[in-house]
Amino acid sequence: MINCQDCAKALNPYLDRELSDEDIVEVRRHLDACGGCLHVFQFQESLRRLVRVRCQEQVAPESLRRRISMSLAIEQTRIVQRRAPRAASPE
Amino acid sequence: MTRNPSDAEDLVQDALVRAYRFYDRFEQGTNFRAWLFKILTNTYINSYRRKQGRPQESSLEDTEDFFLYNQLSQDRGEQVTAVEDTVLDQLGADAIQRAIDELPPQFRTTVQMADVEGLSYADIAEATGVAKGTVMSRLFRGRRLLQRALWDQAQAAGFTSGSKVHLEPQDNGVVAQLEGEATKR
Repeated sequence: MINCQDCAKALNPYLDRELSDEDIVEVRRHLDACGGCLHVFQFQESLRRLVRVRCQEQVAPESLRRRISMSLAIEQTRIVQRRAPRAASPE
Repeated sequence: MTRNPSDAEDLVQDALVRAYRFYDRFEQGTNFRAWLFKILTNTYINSYRRKQGRPQESSLEDTEDFFLYNQLSQDRGEQVTAVEDTVLDQLGADAIQRAIDELPPQFRTTVQMADVEGLSYADIAEATGVAKGTVMSRLFRGRRLLQRALWDQAQAAGFTSGSKVHLEPQDNGVVAQLEGEATKR
């Protein structure tokens, strides 16, 4: 079984879903047996969740949506104009 | 990235227009969000960072990997298992964003892509144009710094007792063994 040090090193890759299946099994086996590491894991996981949830509460302002729609429409027009001379028949 | 809402809006707009313009270069079947982030990053590097001059490499003090866990457990006198049970839960989106904004740029972007957007190491490497190992070391250091920054925000908001931050690692079992560990696996 992996020791506490290896388990702690695997914590972030585990939360990042970057561990191999074999490593995940090893980490879980250690956590089942080691309350100290389990506490650290649970805490770090909840910390990650807090940051993600709070950051995702922030939504882009409606004014930005309008600006982008407008600039994409302008870009669309440019693309059509650039391609038009080459195309035999416009769509 | 920009640490400023109006620059952020300009950046997002520019990046989306570029993505739209170069959409035919998107390889079907690959990660679309990662592709968008790559364009966002390149747009930022090309136009915004240049404006601000070279990013400074700040000197980074070494901190523990589990700084907050140690700090909060010590304050509580027992191990904490959920951040929701601690003063940090009182931090609002603004405070957490300020903490992220305090990170040096290369760490900030990488941590945000991983912890907020949930991108894989490979996708972040692709988006930021660095090797996967660099992504991992930036996450390693960036997350340590973020914990410090979150603690600072909690103190600034008056949520903590204002107890002195301990620069030495706490000697409580597993955590003490982690000091100096790198991300190499």
